[in-house]
Amino acid sequence: MLPHLTRRWPVYAVLALLAYPWIWRAPYFHLLGFDTLLGATMAVSWNIMGGYTGYKSLGHSAFFGLGAYLVAIAANRWGWNPLWSAPLLALVVVAVALLLGWIMLRTTGSAFVIATIALLLIFRLLALNLRGITGGAPGLSQPLPPWSPEFSRLPFFYYMLIWTLVAVAVSAFIVRSRFGLGLLAIRDDEGKAEMVGVNTTLYKVLAFGLSAYFVGLGGGIWSYFQTHISPVFAFDLRIGVDMILMTMLGGLGTVWGPVLGAFILIPARDFILFRFGATQIHLAISGALMLAIILFLPRGILPTLQEWLERRRAPASAFVGARLMTELRDESAATASTPPGDPHSRVRPAPR
Amino acid sequence: MSAAGSPLLWTEGLTRSFGGITAVKDCSLEVRTGSITGLIGPNGSGKTTLFNLITGIYAADGGEVYLRDRRITGLTPSRICHLGLSRTFQITRLFWDLSVLENMIVPVRQVGLRALLGPGMYRHEQERALVLLERVGLTHLKEQPAGKLSFGQQKLLEFASVLMSEPDVVLLDEPTGGVNPTIIRFMMALIRALNREGVTFLVVEHNMTVVMELCDHIIVMNHGQKIAAGSPPVVQQDPVVLDAYLGV
Amino acid sequence: MSLPPTSVLIQVAIGGLLTGGVYALLVSGLTLIFGVMRVINIAHGAFLVLSAYLAYWLFTLLGMDPIVSIAVLAPLFFVFGVLVQRYLIARVRQEPGLLVLVTFALAITLEGVMGSLWRTTGRSVRTAYTGEVVPLALGDLTVRLPIVQLVGFAAAVIALGVLYLLLTRSDLGRAIRATIQNPDAAQLVGVNVALVRALTFGAALASVAAGGAVFSLIWTFNASSHEAWISKMLSIVVLGGMGSLPGALVGALIIGVAEAVAAVTITTYLSPIVSYLILFFILVFRPQGLLGSRIREA
Repeated sequence: MLPHLTRRWPVYAVLALLAYPWIWRAPYFHLLGFDTLLGATMAVSWNIMGGYTGYKSLGHSAFFGLGAYLVAIAANRWGWNPLWSAPLLALVVVAVALLLGWIMLRTTGSAFVIATIALLLIFRLLALNLRGITGGAPGLSQPLPPWSPEFSRLPFFYYMLIWTLVAVAVSAFIVRSRFGLGLLAIRDDEGKAEMVGVNTTLYKVLAFGLSAYFVGLGGGIWSYFQTHISPVFAFDLRIGVDMILMTMLGGLGTVWGPVLGAFILIPARDFILFRFGATQIHLAISGALMLAIILFLPRGILPTLQEWLERRRAPASAFVGARLMTELRDESAATASTPPGDPHSRVRPAPR
Repeated sequence: MSAAGSPLLWTEGLTRSFGGITAVKDCSLEVRTGSITGLIGPNGSGKTTLFNLITGIYAADGGEVYLRDRRITGLTPSRICHLGLSRTFQITRLFWDLSVLENMIVPVRQVGLRALLGPGMYRHEQERALVLLERVGLTHLKEQPAGKLSFGQQKLLEFASVLMSEPDVVLLDEPTGGVNPTIIRFMMALIRALNREGVTFLVVEHNMTVVMELCDHIIVMNHGQKIAAGSPPVVQQDPVVLDAYLGV
Repeated sequence: MSLPPTSVLIQVAIGGLLTGGVYALLVSGLTLIFGVMRVINIAHGAFLVLSAYLAYWLFTLLGMDPIVSIAVLAPLFFVFGVLVQRYLIARVRQEPGLLVLVTFALAITLEGVMGSLWRTTGRSVRTAYTGEVVPLALGDLTVRLPIVQLVGFAAAVIALGVLYLLLTRSDLGRAIRATIQNPDAAQLVGVNVALVRALTFGAALASVAAGGAVFSLIWTFNASSHEAWISKMLSIVVLGGMGSLPGALVGALIIGVAEAVAAVTITTYLSPIVSYLILFFILVFRPQGLLGSRIREA
């Protein structure tokens, strides 16, 4: 996304991540690393719907919890190893998301956001009450990983790293594909997209389903990592909030923004938890941070940085040297207006 | 492609009301293959509503729309677009954050897996887009976000982009509204040239000079109904039309 | 699942109606905010709980009855609401998806602050009359009504009456109704829409402050209660029709009774699912609700 940075930086980043657990050997750092990668994977996934398509779901924790429960249930009942069942069962999560998306995506704007919250609450309530399947409020335990507890977090770290890379690759592929172009078009102007032949319903439902995959997968791996899960933690609204926060901080609708956001937010939050202890303060800080991002950094770090770099490289107008019909520009001054407060300072015709 | 002169797009008894106000009432009209048909009428006479009904944005309360021999009433706008009907908007609508070139590519139709997994743009699509951009004089801005163009440039880009879906008929909603005389002349020349290349047009326009000069057939609407139709001189002489524009 | 006897159902239905009256007060501000500025205020539940905490505080420290504390809380929240609208809501790009996130962020900020200040213990105000009931004879059937419910209902009716008078008899009320109808036209005829929005937010929070005081009498709460409550409040206004005050009243009574009946016929634990399902399906299939106009944005 930042073409002027060296193209090889992802390789260095991956090498650094491979080395990370051997440089910081304390179990705490392995836990932190796993949490960060889990957050990054899910934020990348959420971004497909929330960033590219512009439909900001607050209820993606529903898919996280669903993935977590499916993996735990399969491990208990049929002895499925989560390491291979998580990616498989995440497909079931996708199927559920496709079905729900097909129902829900006739709503737009805030109605969609509220519907996603309702969805999460319904899922949580079902997890609490279908005791025969979910174990009710106390939750479910599943077998411990077979490897020695001494380095128990290390395999999880590397396994999660693989999926983070896959998620980023999928996200990068999508944004460069025709499908992704359609999603960006929907974000900009859904009615117009439909009008020029984009099957918006299909695109939105597919994006919703796809964005549930890595969230469901993350839930599955998390469930194995935790060995015990309960409705309150698996279907926690905050998990979805974190996905949004990370994405918005790093850059909504960019490939690397959600990853960057995760690598800033999760260590920062751990530090805050370490410093202040109380989890409630962390909630207040999350909320305040979200407000601050929306108010002061609405486009996130990466797009703001990119714009700043571009402006430094080409200080004059980008239109300089363009062989313009001068008339076009003259009349534009008379008829166009710039909406106040719009960070893009788009030139749009004044509504008649 | 239908033979020149045969009906390409037509409506039968199209009706639509909004909470007691009938915006379009029992409207039957036809657009012949190869024509530039004008649609005129006083403000609020139902022209834009008619466009929205034809293109599937609104559902009709009654009546039918046909494209070639196919009934397109009730289809989704994207489906109708695939069948060969495109439109522009009275207030220009573009994908503001996407580049000029991307704005051209979105309307290009891809089917099946290619639509989902294919690359953002194929070389041949890009070439075709560049040819069209050259015609409207926007090639040098192809990497710019559409939101950064001037008003006139946006209007030209919208026009060029709807051609990318290779439509048989294009509905233009005030193509010369709010632009300066130079662009009006440019736009008219472009419409004529494209028409010679086989594109049929249905044009809503308030500028009577443009309508009379450009169109070979004119339909007049008032109060949601078709009140007259014919060649420009015929319509200009029609007392019913004069009454609609001047009378009370 | 067997149906309980009629006498129980009648008792439950009357209780549900009383609860519904209180619900109407809780959601009136939510629907007013949506009507005037097309903002879905997800922080409404958090403001409700905040007001309940303050009422609890005033009761514990000063022995002030929650109903009396409305006189303190409502003006306080009015000022708070004006400030929130002016310095937060009005500053954000007016895009529905983003505005929802703002109010959501505000909600979890408040939850975090309240959770840190007052821990997670469930609180409720226990006055001298808490737990007392009034028997009401209906023919040969005696219905027992808890006093707190009656007091809450009465307070809700009075507060809603004040709100109704404000909307119908005052200049501000006329300006608010004009803005709900058509903000552009209201501006054209000289309504200061920016001011109306700020004052509406203030009035809405004042109403939820009154609601919170009543709330502290009837229900137990902690900082995270707002999640369940905002969902319930949203289902009420969505059912009635976003932005419609009569709709909110009808929705509140329906949900109040439906919940009470569901609690005795299904199970207490699962009964909230009724309102979540209502919320979900109405949003999806009938976004205009019973009496409102369609949620139309952008």
